[in-house]
Amino acid sequence: MTTTEDRSAELAAAGLDGQNRTALGRLLNTGSIGYAEEGTDGVLRATIRIPEDELRYEPSILIFPRGGDIELTLLNDDKNTHCAVLPSNGDPKFLWLVNHAKGIARLNLDGPGTYYYGSQSGNDEGRGLTGALVISGEVPDHAKLDRPPQPRP
Amino acid sequence: MTDYVDAGEAIPHSQLSAVKGIAPATTNVDYERIRAATSEPQNWLTYYGTYDGKRYSTLDQINKETVRRLSPAWVFQAGATGMQSGASTYSFEASPLVVEGVMYVSGPDGKAWAIDATTGEELWRYKHASPYDVSLCCGNVNRGLAVGHGKVYMYTLNAHIIALDATTGEKVWDITNGDVRAGESGSVAPLVVKDLVIVGSAGGEFGVRGHLDAFDAHTGERRWRCYTVPKPGEPGSETWPDDGEAWQRGGANCWVTPTYDPELELLYQGTGNPAPDFDGAVRPGDNLYTDSVVAVDVNTGEIRWHYQFTPHDLWDYDSTMENLLFDAPDGRKLLAHADKNGYFFVLDRTNGELVRVFPFVDRITWGEITPEGKVTPKIYPDEEGVPVHFWPGPAGGKEWTHMSYNPHTGLIYVPVQEVGATATRRRREFKESIPYWGAGVAVDIEDFYGFVAAIDPLTGEEKWRWNNEYPMCASTLTTAGGLVFQGTPTGEFVALDADTGEKLWSFQCGSGHHSSPTPFSVNGRQYIAVPTGWGGWIEGFLPGLLGAAAGDALFCFALPED
Repeated sequence: MTTTEDRSAELAAAGLDGQNRTALGRLLNTGSIGYAEEGTDGVLRATIRIPEDELRYEPSILIFPRGGDIELTLLNDDKNTHCAVLPSNGDPKFLWLVNHAKGIARLNLDGPGTYYYGSQSGNDEGRGLTGALVISGEVPDHAKLDRPPQPRP
Repeated sequence: MTDYVDAGEAIPHSQLSAVKGIAPATTNVDYERIRAATSEPQNWLTYYGTYDGKRYSTLDQINKETVRRLSPAWVFQAGATGMQSGASTYSFEASPLVVEGVMYVSGPDGKAWAIDATTGEELWRYKHASPYDVSLCCGNVNRGLAVGHGKVYMYTLNAHIIALDATTGEKVWDITNGDVRAGESGSVAPLVVKDLVIVGSAGGEFGVRGHLDAFDAHTGERRWRCYTVPKPGEPGSETWPDDGEAWQRGGANCWVTPTYDPELELLYQGTGNPAPDFDGAVRPGDNLYTDSVVAVDVNTGEIRWHYQFTPHDLWDYDSTMENLLFDAPDGRKLLAHADKNGYFFVLDRTNGELVRVFPFVDRITWGEITPEGKVTPKIYPDEEGVPVHFWPGPAGGKEWTHMSYNPHTGLIYVPVQEVGATATRRRREFKESIPYWGAGVAVDIEDFYGFVAAIDPLTGEEKWRWNNEYPMCASTLTTAGGLVFQGTPTGEFVALDADTGEKLWSFQCGSGHHSSPTPFSVNGRQYIAVPTGWGGWIEGFLPGLLGAAAGDALFCFALPED
């Protein structure tokens, strides 16, 4: 069993991975981890769903190999209306997601780092409807310091 | 299989706002125009108003007689949506720029705006998406923008230097200029000189190697980089251990905008503290060019001369704060610098020669600097685990916020912080992106005060002081109206008599000041704009107000039109 599975099981056993069990909502980013795929056009793509009655984005943590142009397909499988306010260079992007709706968000993000997003509707964010877009990789060589490689944690 | 309702494509968030998306085209701001900025006092074209860093305006409609009628003309609220990086430490620190009635200003979390300077109406906005987890030693802040060549330049939290179209806010170019995995970030207001955009790095608390960079203003191509910690064999490297790794993690970041002398073609850049801040045993030597002013050739990026204010710093006494340029009555070209270490330095800016040095704060216990410039440390963290108290604390007698010079009074108005700290050395191994201090530090939360000091830089005499219960943590501004403007940590925006220090006017803005006010005029009406929003590195400069009201408003004041 991996560490991630341990954590999921622990969160489920504690009643923290859903709504109105131990807590009223679910803790932030207690959902699954997914990976985006790079298309032949260089655009990074992934699909995110909002499952019924779970108030989470699935996957709730989406990992990208690098920064750049991103295309997300967002599906609302819930029986309530939500939305997504997603980070993007220039201006955040906004998408309404009424019950059983499907839309597209085109973003541009730098890397590396973690970018959060959420549903700006009611208190969706407070009840758990947040997600993370995690850009992995390194900055370009020209942006690195002129020094030997240094230890990392 | 569900038939989904078509939600379409996500739209820019600003489309759901009243923002116009376009600003009036202003005439081009170029080098000659910035160099002659005093000839157009209606505008504030560059970070300090002028290259010399005087923060002085010849506008005098708001003066000793009229200031009592000064009132808010408009308020701009920055606001926030969703989760932002450094949410607990954001601060509205910018110095707004104004060109022909259009204000360009930046806020926390990668935001920039063009605003109608007479109404506060939002004309365009830009938001650089900032990683939530970017390493920020001292808050989610940005000190402002630069304008020039039809563009607006910003340095972002994740160390991108970007150019925006001045009329639309759309990105023209974007260069990654720092390694966020190493703890580098960007917070400085860029400086446009000739066809260059100058920016310095931040991240000294994470043990990076500081640098100052110049980019082509039109294309973003890097023209030169000036490291402020030398490699082995480079000038100054003899002040670092020659058999160690200390220089690689030396700090000396350049996170405050330099001043500039167009005749000498020299940039005067203050540099940050050495890393680790408080554990000097791992970096024996003077540690050049930390805690220094370096005079950098704007054309080549070469250091022409330097003066180190605190050799082998053991107290976190960055010298990043401004180097104000002024001339003596005999024509000698001088530079004034109020350092964190509590001493005020006047140098010959042609060669770095010390002209005079004197204390400008009441309490100095870390060490002593003689009138000849000899530095003698007295109290510093030395033994592992042994607490040591010293004045001034790591935020210094004055931190990054700026002093100002009024040519009519001949006085420099210094925002002074009187607060000490206790540091306990705790050695640690260096790892990228992990704070590299070498001590635990607690700044005093009860024993503190502050004042604005009016100092004659030709004699070292303090002519007057305006006392405040709390340390002064915002920039001063002085005007031909005979006034000194100063924001307080408790939210008051105050106008003082430049000759006597008497308080003539104040307005409660609802959140503390940690920014730089800007004067300007449009159609003959004078305004003073000031961002407010208490935050940033409060635990370092005034933890006694960590619980104070936060905010993110930009106030703009003017006299009533009738």
